[in-house]
This record gives sequence, structure tokens and C-alpha cells, in this order.
Amino acid sequence: MVEAMRKLRADAESYQGWWSWLTTVDHKRIGVMYGVTAFSFFLLGGVEALLIRLQLSTSNGQVLDPDAYNRLFTMHGTTMIFLVVMPLSAAFFNLLIPLLIGARDVAFPRLNAFSFWVFLAGGLFMNASFFTGGIFQGKLGAPDAGWFGYAPLSLVSTGQGIDFWAFGLLILGIASMAAGFNFIVTIFNMRAPGMTLLRMPVFVWMTLVTSFLIIFAMPIITVALFELLFDRLYGANFFNMAAGGKPLLWQHMFWLFGHPEVYILILPAMGIVSEVLPTFSRKPLFGYQFVIFSGLAIAFMSWGVWAHHMYTTGLGTIANSAFAVSTMLIAVPTGIKIFSWIATLWGGSINLKTPLYFSVGFISMFVIGGLTGVMHTVVPSDYQQQDTYFVVAHFHQVLFGGAMFGLFAGIYYWFPKFTGRLLHEGWGKLHFWLMFIGFNLTFQPMMILGLLGMPRRIYSYGSGTGWDFLNMLATAGAFLIGLSILVFMINVVVSLRRKERAGADPWDGRTLEWSLPSPVPPYNFAEIPTVRARDDFWHQKYAEDEEGRPVPIVAGGAYQAEEEEGEEEAETGHGIHMPSPSFWPLIAAIGLPIMAAGFIYQESANLLPMIAIGAVITIVGIYGWALEPASE
Amino acid sequence: MGVQRTHLRLAVTALLVAILVLLVGCGTVDDPQNTFAPEGDVARKQRDLLLVWVLGPAAVILVLVFGVLGYSLIRFRRKSDNELPKQVHGNNRLEIAWTIAPAILLLIIAVPTIDAVIDLGRGPATDALHVRVTGRQWQWEFEYLDPEYEAAEANLECVAPQLRAPEDGAGQPLCVVGELHIPVDREVGIELESIDVIHSFWVPKLAGKLDNIPGTTNRMFFNATKIGSYSGQCAEFCGLGHADMKMIIVAESEEDFQEWVTDQLEGGGAARSRTGEPDLVSRGE
Repeated sequence: MVEAMRKLRADAESYQGWWSWLTTVDHKRIGVMYGVTAFSFFLLGGVEALLIRLQLSTSNGQVLDPDAYNRLFTMHGTTMIFLVVMPLSAAFFNLLIPLLIGARDVAFPRLNAFSFWVFLAGGLFMNASFFTGGIFQGKLGAPDAGWFGYAPLSLVSTGQGIDFWAFGLLILGIASMAAGFNFIVTIFNMRAPGMTLLRMPVFVWMTLVTSFLIIFAMPIITVALFELLFDRLYGANFFNMAAGGKPLLWQHMFWLFGHPEVYILILPAMGIVSEVLPTFSRKPLFGYQFVIFSGLAIAFMSWGVWAHHMYTTGLGTIANSAFAVSTMLIAVPTGIKIFSWIATLWGGSINLKTPLYFSVGFISMFVIGGLTGVMHTVVPSDYQQQDTYFVVAHFHQVLFGGAMFGLFAGIYYWFPKFTGRLLHEGWGKLHFWLMFIGFNLTFQPMMILGLLGMPRRIYSYGSGTGWDFLNMLATAGAFLIGLSILVFMINVVVSLRRKERAGADPWDGRTLEWSLPSPVPPYNFAEIPTVRARDDFWHQKYAEDEEGRPVPIVAGGAYQAEEEEGEEEAETGHGIHMPSPSFWPLIAAIGLPIMAAGFIYQESANLLPMIAIGAVITIVGIYGWALEPASE
Repeated sequence: MGVQRTHLRLAVTALLVAILVLLVGCGTVDDPQNTFAPEGDVARKQRDLLLVWVLGPAAVILVLVFGVLGYSLIRFRRKSDNELPKQVHGNNRLEIAWTIAPAILLLIIAVPTIDAVIDLGRGPATDALHVRVTGRQWQWEFEYLDPEYEAAEANLECVAPQLRAPEDGAGQPLCVVGELHIPVDREVGIELESIDVIHSFWVPKLAGKLDNIPGTTNRMFFNATKIGSYSGQCAEFCGLGHADMKMIIVAESEEDFQEWVTDQLEGGGAARSRTGEPDLVSRGE
């Protein structure tokens, strides 16, 4: 008994100071670090977007020269996809998956820490490219071939920007792969007793599907990036047509990764919305199985639609027709989800709180994104829309109006669970309306600009094009979005200082995490719960009468007694075994960017030994990790 | 519930603004690259396909979905904290209905889509004018491939013909840079090539784009059904000069076209030497 108390106190001590963050293997802390890091990159990518919009606000803009413009839009796209939406989703995976399935941590806690540190290393490495072009002479060094890096443009690009980009993506890929395997194993193996697959919350399902997409999609771009780097660094000829290489090979590989990637970005947000809507409607998700199986269908079909990014490359009649049909059909499972969400709201008792606002914002903007997607599948009219601002509007409708709105819904929904404080409703709704109006003001004019023939990725346009007014609107909208993000940051600061506590269950939640205190203790569950139903926590609170109406279970009922018993157990610390902190994952991660820099500068700066140094650091990290004694 | 009313009003205002923007946008049919104001049969087909088969159904679905969504949010707002709605878990018939109905709708749209893909995938008409369009960083080169447009001397501004191994005894096809003249109402068969990176040939009012890919020849066709100058520009990001990689297609009467060709062949390119960048404003008609 005394022994156990001492151990708990020691655990509490290991949760203080900056060192504890560097060595943490707690999924919640890793989740917070993922979230904060991704949000910082979001601000960076946002500033890049605002610079782009400033340049395009009028015809013949003079804010940026073409060189800087090309580098900024490349980094904007790369940042928002790989350093913002993916890691923000990862933040939610980390924070929530163990809580939602009734586990104390993920399957591989140190691998989880490794994922985060590798992600951070990759993000910083990628952005370090800004400094390689002689920034003190006013020149940026970032990659300049677009986030899609089409060969052969990415081959002939001078400087080190593309190399940093490619190695950065390779490093980030390692982080994603590790996280993908970790969550698959966690979801399959760490579920609490009774948490059958078809009792799992939809967010867990979408995490599972996303993780599978990640582990199959990442190897494809890894191969493509290796080939690109071999072409650039060692004079190989994968994409060099002068030596018999095929430029189109890059596009096939990139989009075979790239389209599943779109669903990697959107499925987690769909999962979040599928949790938020039932809670705020006080109704179970409509058509649970249909929502899950449509998610699986989307994942399978996402492998058969990549060439719709390549309709104008001359694939021919047969290929274009086949991919038109496959792409049209992927709209069907997407539609099922949208209809099911709306049916969840229907007949509910809708609590108009900020998370619901963002969820409804998600649905409405995603509907437009989906419908414009169908427009692209009509191949001949896509010949007109391809590579215009119509496409820019379409995918922002999906990735910002969709993914980012969904992720913000999640932030407002689960913030109290991890901080113990609710985000302020007034600031929250101001944030929503500014972002919603700003979003529409930015991207709806872009749809028209695309139809008016404005191509993407142009740093400037003439005054006779008729694009001035709509571009000015888009720029105004972009700054409104910027303002809304400022409001969000104020909200976070204000809310964290609030005195009143959120309590364990501020929203009358349905899933297991709301049965835990806020903030969640390091060990999550004092006693691993036994799950008896889908939305188990709801059924602990409410029974159903004959007409299917919920009846609150009186406090002090059977469930309450169980809970108290559980807390007693926690005090004794009985049976709680938590993984020990470790700094080895961090060491292993540090070696990777060092190796990458060695490869890039091996000739120009004679940095060949750096490859060895980086490799040694990583190998020492992995060995230290493997040989680390188990706690106790 | 005054706060919610304000929000509702705000939402309606936002929607109205969006519609207004849409109307303003569509009002400017004179814009030089407006895909909704086509002046060629190919571009017209592409627009009509979108207008008839997609925009219509999409608008109906959008209004329906937004309507039901908005109605639910107003009708089913929580009135008291103790309110507990009936727990509906789903409805298989409804789910199957909204699985099958969109699938059928989409397969219906697939029919005219594939029909148009096949139609636009055919070769050019027998009487077509044949032009090879080569993209290079950052200009467009147009070579007239039919034998009657053989030039005595090469236009040194054109790089693509110089890179090709000269055939014995063969003359040079007439080659011009940046400005392509075509006879109105006659089909133009286009061969697309590139000598460096990927470009994309796009004249919005005449036809949708097709890529110029190094090592490959892509083929398309279009015509202009009205005399005039049509501006186009590179649609695939190709580096520093991408935004400035523009072109003009001048559609003129058969006589004017022949006269222009004669000038070109006699002048060896000199007659056509342009001063500075083409000014889209003064040329746009």
C-alpha cells in the first residue's frame, strides 16, 4: 500500500518540467504537442496564404516577385497538407483513441513519441529550406515546383529547395507510417472488454480506415521521392525524357498516393463530426453501420480514381472514361455520410453550441465541395476547369470548409476534456461566423474566377482579364479568415484563465471519455471499463422507455455505485502500470534530418560525413530504445 | 432565443452576398477567357455539358440539402435542457434509397460524359489545318504542318524546329511565335509537344486544355466560329515565366488568313515581328 502511494507520487513528479515533455510517452501529452506544433505551422501556412492573396488582390501586383511567389505557394500547399491537417488529425488520434476504446495508452507509447519527434524534425527541416537561398540578400530558398512537384520541372529547379522538400516529405512519411501502424494495432488490440468493432465510436473507425490508407499510400510517394532524389542528386533518369525517362510516371505515382491522401485528410474530420452531431442532437448517429461502411467504401475506391487528376495529360478515351465513372461513384458513399448526418439532426434536440456550429459549417461547405467534385468528373468540362481557380476553390471547399471546420469542431468539443475549461461560447461563435463568412468570401469568388479562365499558380494577371474585383473579394475574405484565427487564439487564452471548471461531462456526452474527470488523469481509466453497448456512457446515464424515449437513470443507481468503486481502486493505485518516460525516441528522430542534410550537401559542402553522423545517432537511439529496461 | 435569430439572419445575409457575387461574376461575359462565353464548337460542347447535365442537378441537390439542413436546425432546436428526443438509430430503407438514387443519377450523367469524351477523342476533320504547338519556357511556337505552308528560310525565333534533325531536301514548316492565325470555321488539328517541362495549351473560349508533355505528342482539335482574337495561356505550372506564357489565336476570314500566310512566307518571319508582349486589352474583342 505504502509502496503504491510512493509510486503514484513519483509518477506525478515525472509530469513536471520541460524535461518531462521531451521524454513523455503519454498519448495525451503527445497529442497536445502534435496539436500545438500543427497549429504553429497553420499560422505559418496562413501567413504564406495571405502574402499570396496580397500579391493577387489587384492585377499586376507588386508585392512578390515570381520567384518568391512560386516558393510561397509551394510551401503553403505542402505545409497545410503535411504539417497542418495531417498532424492535427494525428493530434486527435492521440488524444482520443485510447479514451474512446477504454485503454490506458496506445499499443506502442515510445513509437508514438518517435512519430511526433520525427514529424517535428521533418517540419522544421522542410521549413529550413527558406534559409538556403541567401535569405539575407532577400532571396528565399524554399522549393519552387508546387506541392505536387511535377517532373521534369522539379528536376530542373536549381538550388536545394526541392531536395529539402523531398527529404522533408520522406521524414514526415516515416512519422506517418509509424503512427499508422501504432493506431491500427492499438484499435485492434487495446479495446476494453465488450468494445466490439461495431460498438466502436465512428471516430475510432475513421482513424482505423485513415491509418490503413496511410500505411498503403505513403510507400508510393516514398518510391516516387526516392526516384526524384536519385534523378536530382545522382543523375539517374527516371523522369528525364531526354534519357528515355517518363515524366508522366511521376504523376501516376504522385496521384496514386495523392488521392487516397485527400481521404486521409478528410476522414478524420468526418469522424469528429460523427461524434459531435449525436451529442448535440441528443440522438444516436443515424445509420451507424452505413456511415462506417461508406467510410470503408471511400477508402477502397480512393485507390481507383487517381487519374482524374490527369484528364488533360492525354491518357486517352478509355482511361478518361473509366476514371470518370469510378470518380462519379465515389460520390455515392460520400453522399450517404452527408444524408446520415442531416438525418441525425432531424428530430433531435439540437443544442446550438460552437462545436455544432463548426460541424454544420463542415457539412454545408463539404456539400459544395462534393458537388464541385462531381463537376470535375465530367471529363470534357474538366478540360476547361483543370488547373484553374475553380479547382483551387473546390479543394479548399473540401480541405478547409471540410477538414479544418471539422477539426475546429473537434477542438471546441474536446477542449474541456483535456484542459478542464470550456472554450468561451461568445468568442467561439464570433470565431465561427468570421471564419465562415471569410471562407465563403474567399473561395466562392474563386469558383467564378476559374470559370472566367484564371489559371492556378500565376503570380500576376493583366488588367483586361476581368478578374480584378473577384480577386479583391477573395483577398478580403482571406484576411477575415486570418482575423477569425486571431479570435480563436484569444479565446484559448481567455478560456484557459477562466475560473469555472468544465466538469467531467459538460455536453451530456455519449462516449467513454466523458466518464473520466477533466482533465483526464495520466492513467486515463482507474479501472478498465466493461462496455455493454454502443455509446456506452449514454446508456449508463439513460434508459429507454417503450417508445424509444430516453429516461434518465436516477443518481445513485447501479452505474453510480460502480463508478465509486472504481475511484477507490484508483486511490490504491492497484493494477495501474504506466510506461516509463524515455528520451530515446527523440534521439532516434534527431538523426534523420542530419542524415538528410548530409545527402543534400555531400558534394557542394563536402558534408558526406554528416550522413554517417546522422545514421549513428539514429541507430544509437533505436538501440537505446530497444535495450531500455522495462519499468519496475 | 434572440441570439439564434440574429445568427439565422446573418446566415441568410451571407447566402445573399454569395448569390450576389455569383451574379456579378456571371455578368461579365466579355472577359477574354470566360469559359461560359465560348466562340468555338469544342468549348461550346464542354460548357453545355456542364450547364445541362451537371449544374442543373447540382443546384437542385444543393438547395434540397441546404433546405433540409436549415429546416432541421430551426425546427429541432433544443427548447429546454431536459428535452430528450426519441432515439432513432437509422432506417435501412431510407439509407438504401439515398445510396441507390445518387448512384443512378451519376450513371445517367456518365452517359453524355463518355459520349463527349469519345467525340472529343476523335482525330481532326479531313480538311483541317494542321498545326504543331510546342511549349517551351516561356513561349508558344506554332508550326504549320501542311505542305503548302513550307517556308524558304527558318524563323530563328522558333527553337523547336532547330532541335529536330533537318530532313534532306525538306523545307521548313512556317513557324511563328506567340500568335497563331487560323481561318474561321475551319477545324484546326493540333499536335502538342514540349521541349523542356510540362506545359498546357489552353484557349478558354475555343477549347479546354491539353498538356504539352516532353517526349509525347498529344492531339486535339478545335475551331473558332466567329472572327476575332482569342487569348490563351499556359495552364500547367512551368516555372518563373508561367504567368507570362500567353498566346493569341487570331481567327480571320479565309482571304485574310491566306494574305497573312503569304506575308509570313515572303517576310521570313520579319513581317510578323512583334513589339513587346501582346496587349490583351486592345486585342481582346
